[in-house]
Amino acid sequence: MAGQPMMHPPIILLKEGTDTSQGRAQLISNINACMAVVDTVRTTLGPRGMDKLINSDKGATISNDGATIMKLLDVVHPAAKTLVDISLSQDAQVGDGTTTVVILAGEFLRAAKPFIEDGVHPRNIIRSFREASGLAISKAKELAVTVEGSDEAEVRQLLRKCAMTSMNSKLVSGEKEFFADVVVDAVSKLDPRTLDLRMVGMKKVTGGGLRDSFLVDGVAFKKTFSYAGFEQQPKSFDNPKILLLNIELELKSEKENAEVRLDDPAKYQSIVDAEWNIIYKKLQACVDSGAQIVLSRLAIGDLGTQFFADRDVFCAGRVAQEDLERVAKATGGQVQTTVNDLDPKVLGTCARFEERQVGAERFNLFTGCTQAKTATVVLRGGSEKFIDEAERSLHDAIMIVRRAMKNSSILPGGGANDMQISRELRDYARSIPGKSQLFINAYAKALEIIPRQLCDNAGFDSTDVLNKLRQKHALPPEKGANFGVDVNTGGVVDTFASFVWEPALVKINALGAATEAACLILSIDETIKNPKSEQPDAGPMPGRGRGRGRGRGRRGRY
Amino acid sequence: SVSLATMSLAFDEFGRPFIILKEQEQKARLKGIEAQKANILAAKSVARIMQSSLGPKGMDKMLQGPDGDVTVTNDGATILEQMEVENQIGKLMVELSRSQDHEIGDGTTGVVVLAGALLEKAEFLLDMGMHPLRIAEGYEMACKVATKNLEAISEEFEFSVDNCEPLIQTCMTTLSSKIVGRCKRAMAEMCVKAVLDVADLKRRDVNLDLIKVVGKVGGQLEDARLVEGLIIDKDFSHPQMPKELNDVKIAILTCPFEPPKPKTKHKVNIDSVEKFEELRRQEQDYFVDMVQKCKDSGAGLVICQWGFDDEANHLLMHRNMPAVRWVGGVEIELLAVATGARIVPRFSELTPDKLGFAKQVREVAFGTTKDRMLLVEGCPNTKAVTIFVRGGNRMIVEETKRSIHDALCVARNLVRDNHIVYGGGAAEISCSLVVASEADKIAGVEQYAMRAFADALESIPMALAENSGLPAIDSVTAIKKAQVETGNPWLGVDCNEVGTNDMKGQVVFETLIGKKQCLFLATQVCKMILKIDDVIEPKRFE
Repeated sequence: MAGQPMMHPPIILLKEGTDTSQGRAQLISNINACMAVVDTVRTTLGPRGMDKLINSDKGATISNDGATIMKLLDVVHPAAKTLVDISLSQDAQVGDGTTTVVILAGEFLRAAKPFIEDGVHPRNIIRSFREASGLAISKAKELAVTVEGSDEAEVRQLLRKCAMTSMNSKLVSGEKEFFADVVVDAVSKLDPRTLDLRMVGMKKVTGGGLRDSFLVDGVAFKKTFSYAGFEQQPKSFDNPKILLLNIELELKSEKENAEVRLDDPAKYQSIVDAEWNIIYKKLQACVDSGAQIVLSRLAIGDLGTQFFADRDVFCAGRVAQEDLERVAKATGGQVQTTVNDLDPKVLGTCARFEERQVGAERFNLFTGCTQAKTATVVLRGGSEKFIDEAERSLHDAIMIVRRAMKNSSILPGGGANDMQISRELRDYARSIPGKSQLFINAYAKALEIIPRQLCDNAGFDSTDVLNKLRQKHALPPEKGANFGVDVNTGGVVDTFASFVWEPALVKINALGAATEAACLILSIDETIKNPKSEQPDAGPMPGRGRGRGRGRGRRGRY
Repeated sequence: SVSLATMSLAFDEFGRPFIILKEQEQKARLKGIEAQKANILAAKSVARIMQSSLGPKGMDKMLQGPDGDVTVTNDGATILEQMEVENQIGKLMVELSRSQDHEIGDGTTGVVVLAGALLEKAEFLLDMGMHPLRIAEGYEMACKVATKNLEAISEEFEFSVDNCEPLIQTCMTTLSSKIVGRCKRAMAEMCVKAVLDVADLKRRDVNLDLIKVVGKVGGQLEDARLVEGLIIDKDFSHPQMPKELNDVKIAILTCPFEPPKPKTKHKVNIDSVEKFEELRRQEQDYFVDMVQKCKDSGAGLVICQWGFDDEANHLLMHRNMPAVRWVGGVEIELLAVATGARIVPRFSELTPDKLGFAKQVREVAFGTTKDRMLLVEGCPNTKAVTIFVRGGNRMIVEETKRSIHDALCVARNLVRDNHIVYGGGAAEISCSLVVASEADKIAGVEQYAMRAFADALESIPMALAENSGLPAIDSVTAIKKAQVETGNPWLGVDCNEVGTNDMKGQVVFETLIGKKQCLFLATQVCKMILKIDDVIEPKRFE
């Protein structure tokens, strides 16, 4: 026991390391840290990529999504954190390619490492990398093909292809064609000017197969908590008028902290009546507005439920904010904060409303909405984790389709574009005298990581496949530029012709972000950690740290 | 104890490790094939527990909860739910069973056994060096072939409200594996009747919420009955009230028999004796007034969501106004739907048109116990029925309730979709044969996976035969041979030793959607588990 702290020096080292690990040593150790993180997500790339199961206090997650994994890994190393950031920013910017960007950044660092060890000044490498990245991006733009569908059906096909490529690597890949339709339908429902993603709702219901998922061209949400009397309300309407509220419809004290003082007991009843009148007036106002459906973000009490039931009005209280907003957008209604002077104009409408059983849940469905700039995907699947992962996959696909709608230029996937860019960079490198040649060559070689990893994940001999690819890409561009890895046979294939497409934006963004991250890490030569802010996290001494850990374990057991 | 499987460590220039992840040394990590093996092992061990519960001769499990409460059950979903599985992969299997339960309500054991078998076969393939995802893809292809075959061999199932015999037969198949097997006929009849009572045959929908299953310890299984109406676990508020009411109008109130209270904070200043008397008188008036209002409306029975004190109770009794107090919100609602009453929030709104009606309301006592319940029968809107279950002890009652739930689900599924396939493993064997022959037409690794899928399908009839005490391999291979020779997809394992393998003749069948769902879900979960190659978990401290 006494010897233990000596055997566990890492935390002490970190603090003292600030002094010793400057310059090159610091740089190398940063690179190593990044590599370790990259190694974690490496195997998730591509159609044969695997999933990670990460179990934390917040529950277990099974995912293939780079950004999700990076977030859950809980990286504390400051340099390695950069990788998490670029993954998240890729997620926010493009929505897909979150693994690609991390792998690329890691590979650029790996390429730079031998030069650093050989004593090259990092700034030289950075300059060349930046130059290479600029070139690569412009090459990617050159390679990109704008597939302008001549008619709607063609555009649709194009979008489906992009969605399918994005879903290839995910758990839902078996049903990618089905989901490609769902995703394309959902996105095309949106307002083409803004393509606001918040208007695509995703609802998860465990049970059923993936194929039982469906798209609602409107809004759907789970039955809210209901009071007695709810079952006596009508559950389906054609062309209903919908009133949206943000007030409580409950018998309750009108003012908080107010007190009524009575001197005359005879007046007691009048106070009671007055309270009832207030709520009845509100309820009557709702009914008088002509609404057949009343939704509120706040509670609708049992009294209200029964009142509406008596008047054949459907009501739902405690509707989630986002659902209510989407109903408003879809039906053209406006959320009211008072029931006084209800103008018929604030009521929304849709072609059909009904309550439907989905699995073990009941759902309120608003379909055929007049203003329908919104859609809801109801996801089904065997287990909660399965649906969670399906949701993430669909999110990526939706992002991609949305991007492709705005900007329909695409690149051949399966590592084809990486190989082509790599080749062109090599050609360019040969034209430079000086050290830069080496660095740009290294950058070009690093780009090959994408097809290499695709092969590795699929269990093929990556050297073999890569050699075939290099041969293809050495041919004039019109002959070989579109060849990428064929994950089904372990050979090479024209990925453009076989519809493995990715939006150009994904790759352009990934190249830019990965290079920036690599350069950032290369430019750090010293880390100064503030020991104070570190304290609550890791514990200042190994001995104490262990003690805390034990305590936690014990608590966990009981 | 230093675990070797920590996060991959990184080393700095001097070969010293440093920390990348938060609390790195407290996390355990399994990678690659090791992770897959561990996951498969976890899933398999869950499946193995369930295996002996499959089929009509399946055994029950006894589970003791944390508070010492004991559950004896044969229902897959319940067993898994109560086992409180800790392992994440084990949890996936639990969810698998649960989702089959939610969607179909039956086949919760079968789906887990199948998933376990699929994973077991996958393990062999992994050892052969196959890529886990190729296995999963092969399974998916096989699953498509199998479900297509299920559709092809399925038969339309004719029934109507007048001819519900086939439905009863199906429910009996479900019930036969349960503890209630000995009076399955009566139970099945009850279930079918209940479902048809609440079914909306035009929309092909059944709202199971309208069927309540109530149990009471005591009596025997045979005493179970279907009440076309409701059972409320309450008694009349005063022991001297009449025990039976006929053709009674019912008022349903959500307000208590007590002076109304404003919700706003209030204070009544009493500064003289007169005022006090006034207040007292008023309070009493309230009671009199309330009872009078009920009387005036013409109600013969008052159902109250809240309570009332002895004073009000006494008054009600005197005015010959039977009442029930503290009836829960759910019951209130069901009662309102059944009797056609409207729920009344305050006395001043009580009018004759808001009353409901029931042919008979009576209080029944059970045996020598003081337990009493109210039976509300002959409601104009029969769309709410209750199945009342009796049994020797709490465990039997609970298990019977679960079995009835399964049977109800089966009947509902048939109303929704009247296609059936034959049970006793017949459908599985048929699918297995088709998948195996389709497999040979496919070049590539998937061929092996599909064959493995075909093998896994056989594990269901195997388990059935084994649980029934039959020689598993002999009987399954014999049936397989017979199916190939005759082309009959309805030859299955003769679990009940009737003497024939003809499941059509034995009328043992299952719903097509249930079987399809089972295949889908098992394949899905398999893929999910196979796809994981990296498990990061907080390390457990010894």
